[in-house]
Order: sequence, then structure tokens, then C-alpha cells
Amino acid sequence: MSKLIIQVNQAGYGQGSSYQALQFTKAAIDAGHQVVKVFFYQDGVLSTNHLQSPASDEFALYQAWRELGQTHQVPLVNCVSAALRRGVLSAAESAENQLQHWNLEPPFQMGGLGELVTGIEQADRVICF
Amino acid sequence: MKKITIIFRHAPHGSAKGREGLDFALLSASFEQEVSLIFVDEGVLNLLPLQTPEVIGAKDFLAAFKALPLYDIECVYACHQSLADYQLDELALAFPLEIKSPAEIGELLTQADEVFVY
Repeated sequence: MSKLIIQVNQAGYGQGSSYQALQFTKAAIDAGHQVVKVFFYQDGVLSTNHLQSPASDEFALYQAWRELGQTHQVPLVNCVSAALRRGVLSAAESAENQLQHWNLEPPFQMGGLGELVTGIEQADRVICF
Repeated sequence: MKKITIIFRHAPHGSAKGREGLDFALLSASFEQEVSLIFVDEGVLNLLPLQTPEVIGAKDFLAAFKALPLYDIECVYACHQSLADYQLDELALAFPLEIKSPAEIGELLTQADEVFVY
């Protein structure tokens, strides 16, 4: 059993790799590995936008990430600065920036890039998508 | 401490990959990891001096490459073949680094704990 960190760098819609990251994460958990956290960086933070509303006959990647995080207690962490630049804000950042809306809801959470680095130090492997 | 190698393989402008790779490099170094940088393919265009990203509405993140020694990032390499492909003169690059052959870069990658590509 290995301790893994999954890093998601590409957008959830329009790019294939975020879906592949989800499938890999599920497979790793099923195989008995521990996924310490999923870290969303670069355009990957767009996968955590609560307002994504795909058509009803399309795969809802956001929901799938959320269910995975809740079912397996895997932290789903955004790089906060990457997220803010792309308009993904939690209620706290929205208030800090005097904005009226936000689009990040639990179980997704904000964290620093430092959380990724300290996680890397403790994990056996990082897999980037 | 882990040996983290960060590969820059995209041109500096037109996407935020280089800027976010550099952010990750500096942060990793400030968290006491052993960080190496390797510039290959289009990524060698990050090494050109006298760039003015402000004129295309972009932040001049390239200036921060000059701060690598302050973060104790001493292992900085560029691919000899990629420099030749873009006809770049290694003496005219924006900051000092070591030139390596593709085979030597392959060897460096085997020594890393983790490799990240930006």
C-alpha cells in the first residue's frame, strides 16, 4: 500500500485528464492505496466550481469528485491563489473581496500550495494529471 | 526532504504554465525541498533576456527566475538540443545555468523523487 497525492492541473470540462484523474483515484483506492489528498492546481481548480451545470445526459465530474471525497474521506483541496485568479471563491474569500457571490462549497476546500508540498514530503508518490 | 525536479517545457507566454511552475518551484524550495529546474523544448524560450510580458497584459514572472539562488535553487539546467533547435546562444541567456545533453537530462530524472512537468 502506498500513500498517494493526486494533482489535477487541467480543467474538468474540455480536457480529458481531470476525468482520468478521477478514475485513477478510484482505482488506487480500490486497490488498497491511501489517497492522502487530491490537490487542484492551475486550471484544475475549475473542476471545483459549484456552479457547473452540465446537461442532464452528461457525466457530472463535479458530483463525482464530491462523492469520491465524501465516500472515502479524501480531502479535496484547491490551491487558493490559482482558484482566486480563475474566479473560484469560497464564502470566506468572497467576503474578504467584498463580493456578493461564491462558488466553492464543501467538501471542496481552499489550501495553500504549501499544503501540496508538505503532502508531497509525506507521500510515497505524486501523480499529476 | 524530497528531490523535486520541475521541467519547463512550454513557452513563457500564451499560457500560465511557466508562471505556475515557477510558483511551485519557489514554494517547494521555501519548504526546504531539494529543487531542480530543467528547461526543454519550447521551455527554453523562458531563458531569453529582454522580454517585456507587460505589453501583452501578462505579469513579468520571468524576472523571478533571477531570484533562484536566493531560494537555494542551484541545480538549473537547459537542454542543449532544445537550445540548438531554437538557435539560442547559451552565452546570451537571461540567467546562469548548466547545459545538458538529452541523455544527461534523462540521467538527472532518474535521481529525482518526483518530477513535475509545466
